[in-house]
Amino acid sequence: MNAEDIQQIFFVECEESLEAAEAGLDELKAGTHDDETINAIFRAVHSIKGGAGAFGYVAMQGFTHTFETLLADVREGTVAAGSDLVDLFLLALDCLRDHVDAAQSGGDAPEDAALIEQLTQAQAVNAEPAASDAAEAEETNAADQDLDALLDELMAGGDAPGAAQATDKDGKDPAGWTVHIRPHAGAMINGNEPLLWLRELTELGGECQECHLTDLPALDDMDVEEGYLSWTFLMPADAQRDAVADIFDFAGDNCTVTYGEVGAANAPANDAVAPAPKPEETAEPAEASATPVPEAKTAEVPAKAEVSPPKQQAAEAPVRKQTQSPANQSVRVDLTKLDKLIDGVGELVIAQAMLTQRLANESLAHIEELSMLDTLVRDIQEHAMAFRAQPISSVFSRVPRLLRELAGTTGKHVKLEVSGESTELDKTVIERLSEPLTHLIRNAIDHGVEGADERKEAGKDPEGTLSLSAEQKAGRILIRIGDDGRGIDREKLRNKAIANGVVDPDTQMSDEDVYNLVFAPGLSTAQSVSNISGRGVGMDVVRQNVKELGGRITIESCPGTGTTFTLALPLTLAISDGMIVQVGEESLVIPLAHVVESLSPGEADLKGMGSGRHLLNVRGQFVPIVPLRKIAGSSSKANNPSAGVLVVVETESHGCAALLVDAITDQRQFVIKSLDTHYRTVDSVAGATILGNGRVALIVDVDHLVQSEATSAVPALHPAIPSQSADEAELAKVA
Amino acid sequence: MTKGHEMTQSTRILTVDDSASMRALLLNALQQEGFDVEQAVDGQDALDWLASNEVDVIITDINMPRLDGFGLIERLRESARHADRPILVLSTESSDEKKRRARDAGATGWIVKPFNADKLAAAVRRIAH
Repeated sequence: MNAEDIQQIFFVECEESLEAAEAGLDELKAGTHDDETINAIFRAVHSIKGGAGAFGYVAMQGFTHTFETLLADVREGTVAAGSDLVDLFLLALDCLRDHVDAAQSGGDAPEDAALIEQLTQAQAVNAEPAASDAAEAEETNAADQDLDALLDELMAGGDAPGAAQATDKDGKDPAGWTVHIRPHAGAMINGNEPLLWLRELTELGGECQECHLTDLPALDDMDVEEGYLSWTFLMPADAQRDAVADIFDFAGDNCTVTYGEVGAANAPANDAVAPAPKPEETAEPAEASATPVPEAKTAEVPAKAEVSPPKQQAAEAPVRKQTQSPANQSVRVDLTKLDKLIDGVGELVIAQAMLTQRLANESLAHIEELSMLDTLVRDIQEHAMAFRAQPISSVFSRVPRLLRELAGTTGKHVKLEVSGESTELDKTVIERLSEPLTHLIRNAIDHGVEGADERKEAGKDPEGTLSLSAEQKAGRILIRIGDDGRGIDREKLRNKAIANGVVDPDTQMSDEDVYNLVFAPGLSTAQSVSNISGRGVGMDVVRQNVKELGGRITIESCPGTGTTFTLALPLTLAISDGMIVQVGEESLVIPLAHVVESLSPGEADLKGMGSGRHLLNVRGQFVPIVPLRKIAGSSSKANNPSAGVLVVVETESHGCAALLVDAITDQRQFVIKSLDTHYRTVDSVAGATILGNGRVALIVDVDHLVQSEATSAVPALHPAIPSQSADEAELAKVA
Repeated sequence: MTKGHEMTQSTRILTVDDSASMRALLLNALQQEGFDVEQAVDGQDALDWLASNEVDVIITDINMPRLDGFGLIERLRESARHADRPILVLSTESSDEKKRRARDAGATGWIVKPFNADKLAAAVRRIAH
């Protein structure tokens, strides 16, 4: 694994941590104040800080440090998590997200000075009452400095205060020097091993000058765990002082280490304070030899063990009852491996279709094994697709931030109601959903939700509500974005469309047609152009984005009570259900999502329009008939609708149409193969698939086909009309 | 006398960290130094694994879900098999209070993240017996 791979892991982790932190803060905001919630937020931020340090994102590290410090105070209970503070945390989280994004994209770190200042102040203000405790703690800490200095950051790069001191004078003493070590009772605990210290001193060129036996008691008085021996080593002049200090890095108070000049047999007590003091700092040699075993400073250190409050230890007792950690439950898999699996499943579906065909030729189509295989393939396919599936919460979870930002720029405060966030979608869909969703939400807040005053006048809650929901329904995922705002002003929108020449003034339009004008390029009814929306750029792009995902977008609106956008998206982009139809020699696939019904029309159901065009009367509604031979070539015998089969399809923006085919041959799953990749883009063709008989069949792009048919047929209408009005206009002309 | 530096080849280390990127960094750094590396995702995971496995040195993070570093060290020190096992704490924390707590729990040493691979390896060699 190279550094880049690890960095990628880090960014994935950041994403998870940010989501965990946001979820935790939402809980805090909702009034949950249990320890585990705060702990989880702390851990999330802390984890990002760790990685930021490791990967050299200094700005991110600095910011997370400040953020984490305040969180730690909340965790310790010295700062109360009031709602103001939670809001500050949310802002900090947004900023942290910007830090992560900047690190990932290689951009500049966000401006965070003001926020750091706020976080620091929040800490200072809230910490005041606990000041006396802090002073007390500081006192205890001061006494512990020696211990910590020894334990400390020597390993982090040798720039800790003690080490810096040691490297003075190049860390060498031209005359050579001595080091005296005196292990105490604790020297063997905590995994330490005094023998290793002696060995390392020897490796640095040290020579044992003397082993002091003066403390050795009578055999009967000997305690096996106590240390009685001490050694004086003569170190060569070029031995690095901090290299020696490193040896005792973890020894702490369990070993007294003193340095001296040659001739000073032993070193005195006080030098134990610093890991590597300069020789000048050692006490008088005479005094030193008088007290070879330093007591004064070290004696009180072991007592520190009792200083740490037992209560606190109990409170943070080790075992936390929690569900399995996510790391235990999941495996990270390279996306390309996953895609290969999905491709393989696609091939399996094709192979199964071919097998079915072959068996059908042998009149074995209904054998039990085949239906078993069918079930299994479907299962495998579903599970394989589930690997690529992600909960939509990863998109929804970004919305609270968006609303906070929008509240800042528009002054409109909006409550968020979310449901169905665990609904899963294909990873690709999720990734490409964020942008259109963001735009729809901006639009809802900017255009839909009224200002507080207007809402009060209308007898509404001054705070608006945005509802987001996701659900799986009939093989599609429905995502709804609803606001409780003023609704779409039908007349205003229509007039604007007429003024802009998008629609003809005489055109009869249903509510839906008018609402669909929202998606027309260059239309916006916003009174004032804000920097959020209102330039008319975007809604057409939103529809385009959704369409590219194989989805559809529809609008419902009620004046005064709000607007709801519904996105209907496919579960997957790779495999779909389709109707196989015969047109002449060719087989074509019509995606089942579009199919409403199929029928064999009688002459009475048809209405000729000249030049070979026909309309079909479907229970009183006239829909245009589109011969599929356009795609398949002209070999179809079914030029006359009454001789063929009509498949009524529903399109996203051009209403219904009836596709004329020779026959319907099958209905089954098909694997979508891109024509763009393998051949080139072909109008009205969404891709190709391989049928059971091994032949390639084209997949009909129903939307494109019906749209091009409608626009070529109705010159009276502006080509950009994004509505069903094409059909109606036809009907109007007929009538 | 304990083995010399030539033992590096067979020194087995257990790293305990809930962050996948940190585990990957540790794995890279320690393997490059010739250590055998085992990994656990939190204190409880480490404890479970150590119930039936042996290592020479344990390197643990502090802030972890389920069982944190302090808890892990305390539990290991209580156990007969791992009471003397060298345990290094590897944490971004560097407060005196935390270090004292780690020390009281029985940590052998403390290294502040981000770590320097050479220094980490040196520290491991220093305490591995």
